[in-house]
Amino acid sequence: MFQFLTKLVPRSAIFVLMVLTLAAVVAFAAVSHLVARFNANQQSRGHRLYAQGMADLNAGAADRAIEEFRAALTCDRANPQYQLSLGRALRDTGRLDEAESYLESLWQRTPEDGTINLALARVAARGGSVDDAIRYYHNAMYGVWSTDPEANRRDARLELVEFLLRKGARAQAQSELVALAAFLPPDPTLHLRAGDLLAQAQDYPDALAEYERVLRLDHGNSTALTGAGEAASHAGRYGTAERYLQLAVNAKPQDATLRYLLSSANLILETDPFVRRISDAERNRRIAAAFAKAGERLSSCAKQRGVDLSGAANRSVSSSLSPSPTPPALAALESRWLATRRDLPRLRSAGETDLPEVIMDLVFQIEQQTAEDCGEPQGADQALLLISRDRETADR
Amino acid sequence: MSNLQAGPFSNGKPAPSRFRFRPQRMFAAVEGVFDEDRFFLILSVFIGIFSALAVVCFRLAIDWTHLALLGPLPQAHTWRLFVVPSLAGLVVAALVLHVFPGIRGSGVNQTKAALYIYNGFIPFRTGIGKFLCAALAIGAGHSLGPEDPSLQIGASLASALGRQLQLSREKLRLMAPVGAAAGLAAAFNAPISAVLFVIEEVIGRWSAGILGSVVLSAVASVVVERWFMGVEPLFRIPVTTFQRPSELIAYAVLGIAGGVAAVIFANGIGFLRPRLKALPRWTQYFQPALAGLLIGLIGYFGAPQVMGAGYDFMDQAMHGQFVWQMFAALAALKILATTLSFVSGTPGGMFAPTLFIGAMLGGAVGGVERIFFPHLSASSGTYVLVGMGVLFAGFLRAPMTSVFMVLEVSGNYEIIVPVIVANTFAYVVSRSLQPTPIFDLLTRQDGLVLPSLEEEREEAILRVEDAMLPLPPIILSAADYVDAAARRIEDSTETTFPVRLQPSGWSAVTRELILRRLKEGKGEHTLGSLISPEPLPYLFPDLPLESALRFVQSNPMVPVVNRANPQKLEGIISSQSVFAKYGAKTGQG
Repeated sequence: MFQFLTKLVPRSAIFVLMVLTLAAVVAFAAVSHLVARFNANQQSRGHRLYAQGMADLNAGAADRAIEEFRAALTCDRANPQYQLSLGRALRDTGRLDEAESYLESLWQRTPEDGTINLALARVAARGGSVDDAIRYYHNAMYGVWSTDPEANRRDARLELVEFLLRKGARAQAQSELVALAAFLPPDPTLHLRAGDLLAQAQDYPDALAEYERVLRLDHGNSTALTGAGEAASHAGRYGTAERYLQLAVNAKPQDATLRYLLSSANLILETDPFVRRISDAERNRRIAAAFAKAGERLSSCAKQRGVDLSGAANRSVSSSLSPSPTPPALAALESRWLATRRDLPRLRSAGETDLPEVIMDLVFQIEQQTAEDCGEPQGADQALLLISRDRETADR
Repeated sequence: MSNLQAGPFSNGKPAPSRFRFRPQRMFAAVEGVFDEDRFFLILSVFIGIFSALAVVCFRLAIDWTHLALLGPLPQAHTWRLFVVPSLAGLVVAALVLHVFPGIRGSGVNQTKAALYIYNGFIPFRTGIGKFLCAALAIGAGHSLGPEDPSLQIGASLASALGRQLQLSREKLRLMAPVGAAAGLAAAFNAPISAVLFVIEEVIGRWSAGILGSVVLSAVASVVVERWFMGVEPLFRIPVTTFQRPSELIAYAVLGIAGGVAAVIFANGIGFLRPRLKALPRWTQYFQPALAGLLIGLIGYFGAPQVMGAGYDFMDQAMHGQFVWQMFAALAALKILATTLSFVSGTPGGMFAPTLFIGAMLGGAVGGVERIFFPHLSASSGTYVLVGMGVLFAGFLRAPMTSVFMVLEVSGNYEIIVPVIVANTFAYVVSRSLQPTPIFDLLTRQDGLVLPSLEEEREEAILRVEDAMLPLPPIILSAADYVDAAARRIEDSTETTFPVRLQPSGWSAVTRELILRRLKEGKGEHTLGSLISPEPLPYLFPDLPLESALRFVQSNPMVPVVNRANPQKLEGIISSQSVFAKYGAKTGQG
């Protein structure tokens, strides 16, 4: 092979080394050409297999797609796109460990890559590793994206919120959503999704704000109207709720749920003695009506539970003589209700500033206790119960 | 080749039968600047480059053959799985029998034989034949690996270059291991393991003289190989952890299992190979084909993973794609498939199959252990990785290479302790059950006896202190008077006495000389005037006993002195004590 060397060598090591260097350069060039051609062939074969794999994946044949991605990787082992697709396909078929290892090896090369972090987050989410999932979602949110980074980061955060909500981590989900909502572009679809997620996270005031942003951008959006109505109801803002629900019912008159929500809001607004802009007489009337309704509810619940309230009436009359040491809750409420009934006529007196509160406190206690003992009420009782809960929330 | 003349660095010793040495010194003009040693070092870099280029082409050839014959990822139940290796076996057998004799097997022993028997001569045709036939066989699915052939390709290339440059016989002999290290380093993408393996298995002894050249060629080779093939490791390494020392027990169990599997594997080859070789010559046309057919059937009926080198499947194993039953089945089937391929005389290596079997065995043992001890923290991939080293230590019996190979391949030093523990157990178990390592066994089956580092390592070395006689009761001084010395030795039965020279050194004087000088009336002379002023050579207790052989024949006694104070005598040795010790060791004493 190197016969020519001995023929040419003029007894000089330098010359020999020069010839060897030249031979190395020539061989290097030849092998480079060979490798380049081989790699080009391999790449084209890899592309074909990859495209076939993607087609199979889209057609739902994930197992076949996995084999094709694997075959593509034998053509181009380091190709991140093939690895990512294989990792995703493995994840989708539930082979989480293997998917993770493929994605991990990609991640080790480019830990800042948003796509890889998102894929790893999904693997971790499917595997139930909450901490890992949150870490990778955050990496994806702050990572590098080759195309449309803003939208990708936003989608990653939305996905994280959905994951947190599935895991019952409402507080974390709320904080992520608040951060997200602050930087959302004026796109009704995005605000609507944010509103829905805030509502799922039970952050109704912020949800209402998001729905209202949607309505400012898209006035007739029925979904936003419904959402706003529901959010306002849950937030205890029944006036606002009634307004949005009325618009929603107008848009979708056949929707029974909406009609029910609207009627509930109306009932609450008609029942609540603490709403603004009503006269004293109206307020007193509502208090008296609520009181009477609470008495009826108490009696029916006691009957349902088999509690005899007649003794309570007697105890109330002679309460100063022999008070019962530990009366049952319903009986005690009945006693208080009977005692308060005597004070009801004083509502009209201008000097009784605390009496409305005292009466309504009792009404609310009765509604809550009966709801606990006899189940959720309907109609005006339900309205009173909701008002009581809203007031409790507001007090807290 | 016959027209070659004496080389520039001919050492004047008789030339090997194939060469005639040229009397001129080719590099006389630059002697001193490029003496042979320096030139050899530079040449090592070129050997690394050329070997790597050859190995890159070899790998491309394997990949191309595989793609062309079997497709990118063969699936079970495809007819090609058994037809292709069978036909490839027929072609390979014809080439081996008619065109490239001497390329059977892995190539490690042939390279070693070139170093120790053929003065570094490996026919270039062997390299070409190895390239073509191994690429065809491995690409067609025979259960063999590309590393050992790469080693031989590198060695044959280096040998050819050395011959063309007419190096001295000493250097020419070393070209083969230098090329072997380059070839293996390029194939494995692991220079340290390649260097260690060549020292452990090819050179067979630690030799500082060649280490520099071997390292240079291996590093140059890996640099070139990475230039073309990228810096990606052979496998995607899983996250490996070692948390509790108590888990070492689990790795020790893996080591024991690996040792037993290595013995089964080695015995299978050791048993079948001579028997198949002894069959009539015509059968050798069909042995590789039959092996290919059987391996293909294994693939056809559900285990195509055992075909070829199997690196992709080792990679999958590291990432938990198989359950332990599958791991165990693949380990057993790969032992069978590799045994069939190897004993049929198909050219190809055992490195990759060994790694494959070890990986699968590691996965199986790890899987079973995790069933019984679910608290074990190591992942399945960790056991697979450790298992690769285990079989390397147990089967190839290269314990140091096995440890460094796992570390180089994984790039993770956290698992060094598990690897060492498991490999040690595998090595000890394998050595206990099968005293002769596989490469030595194959060499002996071929009728050759080559040095073995394992035997050297296990051999108890005799030292000077082992043959040392106790301190003589009388030690004379050069300043002593003859009559005083005569009085001191009067009651002694010794015939020779050590004499401490002034200011330093040791000599000896015989009773007969002292008495004769006394009789001559020289009683008032000092001993120093009677004896030779040249001091005796002396030895240290820790030196190998071989080093005493040079001195004991020409001196009545050789003092053994303290290294910290050469004036302090530790004992003496004589020819009788040395030979008595050797006799006792060989049972002839």
